[in-house]
Amino acid sequence: MKIMVCIKQVPHQDARLDVKGDGTWIQEEGIKFEINQYDQNALEAALQLKDASGGEVVVVSVGPERVTQSLRTALGMGADRAVHVKDPEADGSDPLGIAKILAAVAKAESPDLLFTGFMSDDGNIAAVGPMLAALLDVPHTTTAVSLKHENGSIQVERELEGGALEVVELKTPCLVTTQTGMNQVRYASLKGIMAAKKKTIDVKTVADLGLAGQVGAGAAKVKIEKLYLPAKGQGAEILSGSVDEVVGKLVGKIKELGLL
Amino acid sequence: MGSILVVAEIQKGKVREASYELVSFARKVGEATGREVKSLVLGQGVSGLAEELSKKGGGEVFAADDAALANYNAGGHFAAVKAAIDAAAPDLILLSNTPSGWDVAPRVAATLDAAFVSDCFDIEVDGGELVFLRRFFNGKLDARLRPAGLPIVATMQPGATAAFSAASEGKVTPLSITVGEGGTKFIEVKAASAKGVDLTKAEIIISGGRSLGGPEKFEEVIKPLADALGGAMGASRPVVDAGWLPHAHQVGSSGQVVSPKLYVACGISGAIQHLVGMKSSNFIIAINKDPDAPIFEVANLGVVGDLFEVVPKLTEAVKTAKG
Ligand SMILES: Cc1cc2nc3c(=O)[nH]c(=O)nc-3n(C[C@@H](O)[C@H](O)[C@H](O)COP(=O)(O)OP(=O)(O)OC[C@H]3O[C@@H](n4cnc5c(N)ncnc54)[C@H](O)[C@@H]3O)c2cc1C
Ligand SMILES: Cc1cc2nc3c(=O)[nH]c(=O)nc-3n(C[C@H](O)[C@H](O)[C@H](O)COP(=O)(O)OP(=O)(O)OC[C@H]3O[C@@H](n4cnc5c(N)ncnc54)[C@H](O)[C@@H]3O)c2cc1C
Repeated sequence: MKIMVCIKQVPHQDARLDVKGDGTWIQEEGIKFEINQYDQNALEAALQLKDASGGEVVVVSVGPERVTQSLRTALGMGADRAVHVKDPEADGSDPLGIAKILAAVAKAESPDLLFTGFMSDDGNIAAVGPMLAALLDVPHTTTAVSLKHENGSIQVERELEGGALEVVELKTPCLVTTQTGMNQVRYASLKGIMAAKKKTIDVKTVADLGLAGQVGAGAAKVKIEKLYLPAKGQGAEILSGSVDEVVGKLVGKIKELGLL
Repeated sequence: MGSILVVAEIQKGKVREASYELVSFARKVGEATGREVKSLVLGQGVSGLAEELSKKGGGEVFAADDAALANYNAGGHFAAVKAAIDAAAPDLILLSNTPSGWDVAPRVAATLDAAFVSDCFDIEVDGGELVFLRRFFNGKLDARLRPAGLPIVATMQPGATAAFSAASEGKVTPLSITVGEGGTKFIEVKAASAKGVDLTKAEIIISGGRSLGGPEKFEEVIKPLADALGGAMGASRPVVDAGWLPHAHQVGSSGQVVSPKLYVACGISGAIQHLVGMKSSNFIIAINKDPDAPIFEVANLGVVGDLFEVVPKLTEAVKTAKG
């Protein structure tokens, strides 16, 4: 089975976020990046399928030069090849723009199974997966927490609200978006990292994919007008003072609530 | 000007509260821009519910009543939404950000080549154009999003506005659909397991987040405070994902929805999926080193500081107070 995993590089979970001057995105200089959590689970799911029954895992990412490092990590974990769509023309794409780029890559690769994360930890839009499935005209499901592959069909447990699960079945080719906690993600071993040095990262431009002028900021159907810190609203009363003073006030309050 | 199509959701034999919230948003935008509100109800045996929605703000309600829609399935849902779009000619399509909404809405948007915005908490009308408000970066930043054109497919956050409740004129129009073979097949729903602690019964919950760093820290830092106060331990999702605590401890949209007398959030940022699980607690204390953490918005008392310093001292002080 050939599996394509779409991975996005996002600011590290502990990175400090400052809005950049024009208010449309965060300041990227000086912050650390990592593979989106949800996509790490997607990659692990793909590698487990390959471990069990062979096949090929291709990772694909759209983004600037810094993305190379995440692709190297994915190759170190065991992916076979990488495709990097690296082109300023893709900057500022909305999810549909990203999905169009990934669809063009998928058409050239013809995978049996595609994975995306359920959502990205930065944009949180949770759209690229189902959009990509629509563009490829393949069935999809979202928020997978477990997956089995048996004679050409994929059985997925998808998460609903409150911990309930829905079991669905899809015939390949199909697309699955993964939820966090689906699996425990492996680390790239030293051996894996050495082996990854010989693996190829295929770099492509938007024009290579036949999408010149169809993606990127200009083509985005949704514009981010402004990013800002949420209004504080009523907000909490923030206790000031030394730790001992603060703790004293907390205990006072807990007593007042009749809980001590 | 097109209409607004509200895609309603049936849950446990009723029109979901979130669907009436969509009606509220639709009516607000409809009144400001002269758009007519129409709705879709889909499922099996739903004509009575379509009738109800039509009399409570849904306007003309298209009722897709079909055995193929008995259980949620992406293909059937998509076919019904598509048929309703063909019938209602909307240029704004509203769904709720729920497991069915997030599954189908982006697919509809891509098929229509429409603008898509998700998990929005408000819609503003600005110079005749629609502006959508939503959070980015797991709740850390808000954003104003302006679609460059129509149509727009939007999912709205459940609970973001009051449900529409007034009586109104409407009508029901049956809608027939064809569901193709080969889509995503529904097999079954498995109810959440009822194993482990029942947080919904706890009067005091002390919750820890990803920043605890490991299961041993729950034992060392969170459990002693919970024990001292006679409360239970709660957690954010990453804690459960990593296997530090069982799922029964998870608070939030995919865990437990709790409303104890006291909820203490230690090192939890306050992503919306966590907040929906605990914001109706009677009293909330948040301890976080980031003064801008969204958890402080729902907290009654906040401490900006290192939980590893504050929580053990609090535990000691509670023990002393108990004598
Ligand atoms: C400077 C700047 C300006 C921007 N302006 C806009 C704007 O005007 N409008 C707008 O909508 N967005 C804008 N964005 C954000 C935009 O690029 C989003 O990343 C894009 O819309 C996808 O949304 P998402 O990441 O939330 O996707 P989601 O749908 O949440 O992602 C789900 C999954 O899709 C896959 N995926 C997503 N992105 C990629 C990728 N790049 N490569 C490979 N796989 C991927 C991953 O598997 C991911 O888990 C801007 C970003 C930057 C840096
Ligand atoms: C469909 C779906 C369902 C979900 N369901 C749930 C759910 O049921 N429950 C849930 O919780 N999440 C859920 N999530 C995940 C949610 O979006 C967040 O990712 C999650 O809540 C973040 O957990 P966190 O606050 O522990 O971690 P982070 O967001 O990483 O926050 C860590 C916080 O710790 C603070 N911190 C770090 N070190 C210290 C220190 N020493 N002292 C004090 N503070 C410190 C930081 O400032 C930060 O605010 C769901 C997501 C999706 C997409």
